[in-house]
Amino acid sequence: MSGRGGRSETRWAAAILAGFAVLALVPLAAPRDDVLNFLLVILLSITLAESWNIVAGYAGQVNLGHAAFFGIGALVARTLWIDGTPIAAATAAGALLATLSALVIGVAAFRLRGAYFAIGTLALGEISRTTVGNVLAEISTLPTATISTYRLTHRYYVALGLAAVSVAVVAALARSRLGLGMEAVREDEEAAEASGVGALRLKLTALALSAALAGLAGGLFAYYHISYYPSHPFSPHWTFDAVLMTFIGGVGTLHGPVLGAVLYVVLKEYLAVRWVDFHLLIFGALFVAIVLVLPGGLVQAAARLRGAWRR
Amino acid sequence: MPLLEVERVSKAFGGVRAVSDVSVSLEEGELLGIMGPNGSGKTTLFNCIAGALSPDEGRIRLDGHDITGLSPHRICALGIARTFQLVRPFGGLAALDNVLVGRLFGRRRHDGGAHVEAERLLALVGLEGRAAVPAAQLTLIDRKRLDLARALATGPRLLLLDEFLAGLNPAETETAMALIRRLLAGGTTILMIEHIVWALADLSRRLVVLSAGEKIAEGPPAAVAADPAVVDVYLGTPRAGRGRA
Repeated sequence: MSGRGGRSETRWAAAILAGFAVLALVPLAAPRDDVLNFLLVILLSITLAESWNIVAGYAGQVNLGHAAFFGIGALVARTLWIDGTPIAAATAAGALLATLSALVIGVAAFRLRGAYFAIGTLALGEISRTTVGNVLAEISTLPTATISTYRLTHRYYVALGLAAVSVAVVAALARSRLGLGMEAVREDEEAAEASGVGALRLKLTALALSAALAGLAGGLFAYYHISYYPSHPFSPHWTFDAVLMTFIGGVGTLHGPVLGAVLYVVLKEYLAVRWVDFHLLIFGALFVAIVLVLPGGLVQAAARLRGAWRR
Repeated sequence: MPLLEVERVSKAFGGVRAVSDVSVSLEEGELLGIMGPNGSGKTTLFNCIAGALSPDEGRIRLDGHDITGLSPHRICALGIARTFQLVRPFGGLAALDNVLVGRLFGRRRHDGGAHVEAERLLALVGLEGRAAVPAAQLTLIDRKRLDLARALATGPRLLLLDEFLAGLNPAETETAMALIRRLLAGGTTILMIEHIVWALADLSRRLVVLSAGEKIAEGPPAAVAADPAVVDVYLGTPRAGRGRA
């Protein structure tokens, strides 16, 4: 990274978006549902990972309650949609509510720093999951009329669009004054304040932006799944998936979460087929190893390899 | 009107009065040195002025406006910038980005030309050619320079330097002092904490000495050095019955 040029970010954004353009052709070329479903999960994961990356990777605030925003987006979108609101408007409403709740939660949670912030947000996430699970214990299933007109291709394109939007948002952020301020807060909050950065405002902005994208992803979840328990999208595994993907790829970079999401979903699929839940153990160990040995993830590993090659 | 007025400021941590009833004032364009033994409250006083701490008692005014207890980023925007005793650059960011943070956030109005200005400041402190280097990879002296460049990028009227010369070798000290003189000549007002007495005596026309949180002396360097209270703090009082009383 040489100054705010952000040239490498722009190149990566272009490469990723070009990859998405190719993915847009997949449904046209003899689509198989299992292929589309698999790609959709990857795209949804990219959106979730990039959204978590904004608050944790750029602003340096390890939010472990991320699933709450995904869940709120899903809950609002699903409820309004089933009541007859067009899915786009319902999703927008869900994202808006996720953003607003991020601001409210942020004002309280940002009184905590570091590990305490992480623990506090984890608790808030669990409170939201338990509450939704108790109030809405019934499974949510789409009406028969909706199921009969269900088209996987539509969901696929929504997922593709959202992933593209989240990559574009992070790319723009990485080049902006706002993104620079967030990185300053991540590096040293006190020194950032002394340099004129209003840390609380930037942290709230990061959390709100992150929640908006997670809320949109929740809307996609509500649109995609035919039936699920309303508390399911509030489950902490959505948070920890995003954490793992972002760290595996490279936290605080544009392309890291994308690489991490692809690798994570592919590996998880492969491992789950062979060993069912054993993948949890493997990813847990992998996470510890990465944090200890390679805190910059795949992106850092690639940079090291390049360095060694040149030498 | 003085540029900075610190009026009877006190700050306690639990039962320890780190700063006790200290008043200091600074005219525009002046360099005032603050000295005192370790733990005498110098950095606490700095933190009160810069907003990192809120004083328990007393007022702090910049240009007549009360800034007591404002948050650090607002005080920075009003024109007070600081460096840290233990340097605190943004380690993961390139040197140029460090300076850009100050430039883009530390002023109430920001205009174009931030990149050019940031490059100019890097050159001013002697970091030309290191713009792309992550701050964490710079040497100590270079990180100090970077801290200063970042502070200057906020366009300060008053610069707080906390032991800026500590840890520098004689040649580096000379360079740093020349830089401070250039800043003074350029109209920046400077308040500096320093242990290197000869450097302070050389740079400032007025010194303040703190001890155990209280101001025990103030005046021209020669007068302060001869002040019995200052001699007592630094060298101790001869015990009765031994030598001259």
